[in-house]
Amino acid sequence: MEIKQSHRLTKEEKKELRRQEKLMKKQNEIKKRRYFHIFLWLAIFFIIGGSVFVIIKTVSDKGNSKEIKSDVVKISSEDWVKGNKEAKVSLIEYSDFQCPACAFYHHILKKISEEFNDKIVIVYRHFPLPIHKNAKSAAYAAEAAGRQGKFWEMHDMLFESQTEWERSDNPKEIFIRYAKLLNLDTEKFSQDFSSKDIERKIESAYQDAVRLKILYTPTFFLNGKEVKASGDYESFKNIILKAVE
Amino acid sequence: MKVLKILFLRLLSSYNLIIFLFLVLSFIGFIDSVYLTVNHYFKTIPPCSVSDCGVVLTSKYSTIFNIPVSLFGAIYYILLFILAVLSFEIRKEIIRFVIVLTPLGFLISLYFVYVQIFILREICFYCLISAFISTILFIFSFSIIRILETKN
Repeated sequence: MEIKQSHRLTKEEKKELRRQEKLMKKQNEIKKRRYFHIFLWLAIFFIIGGSVFVIIKTVSDKGNSKEIKSDVVKISSEDWVKGNKEAKVSLIEYSDFQCPACAFYHHILKKISEEFNDKIVIVYRHFPLPIHKNAKSAAYAAEAAGRQGKFWEMHDMLFESQTEWERSDNPKEIFIRYAKLLNLDTEKFSQDFSSKDIERKIESAYQDAVRLKILYTPTFFLNGKEVKASGDYESFKNIILKAVE
Repeated sequence: MKVLKILFLRLLSSYNLIIFLFLVLSFIGFIDSVYLTVNHYFKTIPPCSVSDCGVVLTSKYSTIFNIPVSLFGAIYYILLFILAVLSFEIRKEIIRFVIVLTPLGFLISLYFVYVQIFILREICFYCLISAFISTILFIFSFSIIRILETKN
């Protein structure tokens, strides 16, 4: 009798235990489902929000680059141009008279200008980097010479004798000497060199280049598209040849 | 031809597949609309391969009370998307609401396709995608209702 009762008890206990187990399982499942719901909605929220964000980002980036392009392509009356203004191919250079790489490319560009002659228009734009102490003064000198119609002559001279003036503490003196060599009116040259007008022009050119996110000099734009030049005449010529054809 | 027809009918009678496609298409429609809306507010014209989207996207038909119609499109598609998610999340019956929305979307799309072809005489690729998607969603919503009805 005693044994039987204990046996029955354990049976009921077992039943109870099983019931509790089932309940626990059910509760766990409900919990799991709730987590799943939260996870699902969070995922949906992030996918939608993320895709909207990506779209806004790409569209705004594209909008900026578009603005840059149209800015670069246009050659304004303020620009210093060499070659045929009506030419289909335009090569715009953002340059700094004191940068050694620019002086190096100066020779390449000279050859290119001779080779393509009236098939190309070359534009020089100032981007005097702050790390070059005389770059701005050199730009003033070129502009001042430009006032007397000899921008390109001064431009060539500045690049060819870069080593002479780059470290000078009084570059103006040297530039006046160059002006004399070019048969310029040195008094007017000296006046223009220090004029606020030219200073402003260089500053705004510098700001334009910054706005275009130009990172180094020289930077070339061939028909409005940035081209990476590898530094030898032949490869540069081939790039332009492709654009000319 | 017959095989295609059978395949097509099979496709239209599989509830889960339709709901899945419904989700995918409404999401694509949403992305398409958002893309056009963002372009509108950034005042840019998205690239178009065949024709001039600019004519369509800047025409007087592209906005209502200064709000671009693509923004309404985005809201429409996201609503359909959320309804479809809710239908398998909470109650299947919720999907019935789509039958109120999709004919509206279909008719509006039809109107805009008409405007593009006969009034502006220019076609915008992104707008056609949206019209195509809303047409398919319209068809799907009917087959969804039919499946639900036969099951009951």
